Amino acid sequence: MKLGELSRISTVRLLPVYGVLFVLWSVLLIGWVQYDTKRYLSGVVDEILRQRVHYLSHIDRERLPEAMAQTDALDLRGVMLYGLFDPQGNKITGNIEHIPEGVSLDGVVHAVPGGIQRIGAPEPVNARGLAKQVEGGDVLILARATSVLDQVNTIIFRSLLWGLTLTIIPGLIGGLWLARGPLRRIRAIETAAQPIMRGDLHQRLPVTGRRDELDMLAGIVNSMLEEIERLMSEVKGVCDSIAHDLRTPLTRLRSQLHRMHREASDSAHASVVEQAILDVDSLLDRFRALLRISELEDMHRRAGFTEVHLAGTLDHVREIYTPLAEDKHITFSFEIAPNTPTVRGDPNLLLEAVSNIVDNAIKFTPAGGSIHLRLLPDADAGARIDVIDSGPGIQNSEREAVLQRFYRGTCSNKDVSGSGLGLSIVAAIVKLHGFKLQIVDNPAGGAWLALMCGPARTGAT
Amino acid sequence: MARVLIIEDDRVTADEICAELQRYGLDTDWVGDGATGLERARGGFYDAITLDRMLPGMDGLTVVTRLREYGVQTPVLMISALSDADERVRGLRAGGDDYLTKPFNPDEMAARIEVLLRRHANVSRPMALRVGDLQLDLIDRTARRGEVLLDLLPTEFRLLEFLMRHSGRVLTRTMIFEAVWGYHFDPGTNVIEVHIGRLRRKLDPPEREPLIHTVRGVGYVLEAR
Repeated sequence: MKLGELSRISTVRLLPVYGVLFVLWSVLLIGWVQYDTKRYLSGVVDEILRQRVHYLSHIDRERLPEAMAQTDALDLRGVMLYGLFDPQGNKITGNIEHIPEGVSLDGVVHAVPGGIQRIGAPEPVNARGLAKQVEGGDVLILARATSVLDQVNTIIFRSLLWGLTLTIIPGLIGGLWLARGPLRRIRAIETAAQPIMRGDLHQRLPVTGRRDELDMLAGIVNSMLEEIERLMSEVKGVCDSIAHDLRTPLTRLRSQLHRMHREASDSAHASVVEQAILDVDSLLDRFRALLRISELEDMHRRAGFTEVHLAGTLDHVREIYTPLAEDKHITFSFEIAPNTPTVRGDPNLLLEAVSNIVDNAIKFTPAGGSIHLRLLPDADAGARIDVIDSGPGIQNSEREAVLQRFYRGTCSNKDVSGSGLGLSIVAAIVKLHGFKLQIVDNPAGGAWLALMCGPARTGAT
Repeated sequence: MARVLIIEDDRVTADEICAELQRYGLDTDWVGDGATGLERARGGFYDAITLDRMLPGMDGLTVVTRLREYGVQTPVLMISALSDADERVRGLRAGGDDYLTKPFNPDEMAARIEVLLRRHANVSRPMALRVGDLQLDLIDRTARRGEVLLDLLPTEFRLLEFLMRHSGRVLTRTMIFEAVWGYHFDPGTNVIEVHIGRLRRKLDPPEREPLIHTVRGVGYVLEAR
């Protein structure tokens, strides 16, 4: 399974969106946890500072330096920062050198903006602290480093990172893995749809019975196919039965006309009846061709298929049609490439198909024109047969239509007889074999039909 | 007079076959089902049989298979609504001599019966064929009209041979196409017409009595009239 294909599955497409939303939500959640923790811990720090100040404020001025030193002694982790300064800012006692900048002497706990440099410490640390004027105008500074807070922040940030990594990576892998299931089913549906696209309406899409969205879709398509098949068979049935029903009375009409012709007394009468017989014959021919197409379309068995040497088939076509071309003063040329591989098919039907194409070419090519019939090996199809004529050609707009029943080109010569069923028979035979009939652009202007005698590749035009 | 047994369950079709064959001067007997048909074919002395492929009780394929098992070699024309190429092969393999698809042209049916009767009558393979002053040497593969050697292409020779083998009988274009090229489909009016036309130009020079005659709407017949 290719990654490119996988990336087009809707589940996989939604994965990044889900991922981004998940990250945003996690950041928001962790942010809030961090904010709340920080607020709580700050509260605790502030409370400790307030208690200590409260304690110190009840101690006599003389004993204050001693009490403060005691505070330091109690602080095993070294987070307490304190100092006593005279009104001029000179240090009396403490573990800090100066009054930190920007502190107000209001006795309320604040974050110290620039941090506090402890004596002997390499750099200032973040801290919360308060400053208060005590008796005699001295300034008491009491602060506590917030390194615990920072550590908690780091822990929370790391857990966020790990949590995200551990969730998103398995999530992505799991998502991709889950997407393979639907992709595999789409594959199965695609495989099942191939014959349907080739016109085999008996086939249905696979339904797993899970009743999920793919099953629902396959179900809808299947009911559509059911209805299409029913309509098609109805139309075909009507067509076939009309052709069948009309053939019997027409056959009788013909034999009656035949009898009348035999018994006709004068030649004028006889020629009228003769014309009528010819008309009935052409009607019968058309019905025969219609039923033939129908029969070819119904044919599913390929029991009559053998390895066919197309060179032999074309030789017969040459033998059969050269006199017709010569009578119309058309140059009929051949080119049969040696070593063209054999193809699997019904020799009788293949000759009929090529004959019909050549017959058409002879019909539409004006006197003095040329027809080229050639057999070539083909890289994709195995073998291809080209019939190129110098007639009026087939317009782009008519290319689809010429293979349909009863279609005759708009610019076709009105003198050209024909039921318009010849190429439809060819199309039916080609379809039965799984071959492909192409109408090629002919720079010289005439019609150029290419019969690709090999399995039709899907998607190729 | 030749007698033909018609085994056909559809009354209308049977009437049509009988009428057409009687018009050709043949005696006809009709039976409506396979079992009776088989019995009559075994016992009676018929020169040809038309046999419907789909019959109530015993179908046409079984009838012809049994008939051949009993050693009855009467030529059989199978008539069937199934025109599939496989069906045709099956019918001929079972022992049928010819195969015709329904609905058929009565002339075509009669022409085929005539050919079957003729084929059965002279099983011997002659070395030369002769119609009027036209002579075909099957060993040298040469054709002469009177003293004139005809310059024929291989296809033309095969066509002439087929016409001469069944001289005096009307041959339809599908029969000609089948016999000369071995394919079973209707090639259209033009093809056979053109080939016959060419052969005619070589065979019937203006000063001679024509040998190939067109039967309008049916086919061609080669005979010295």
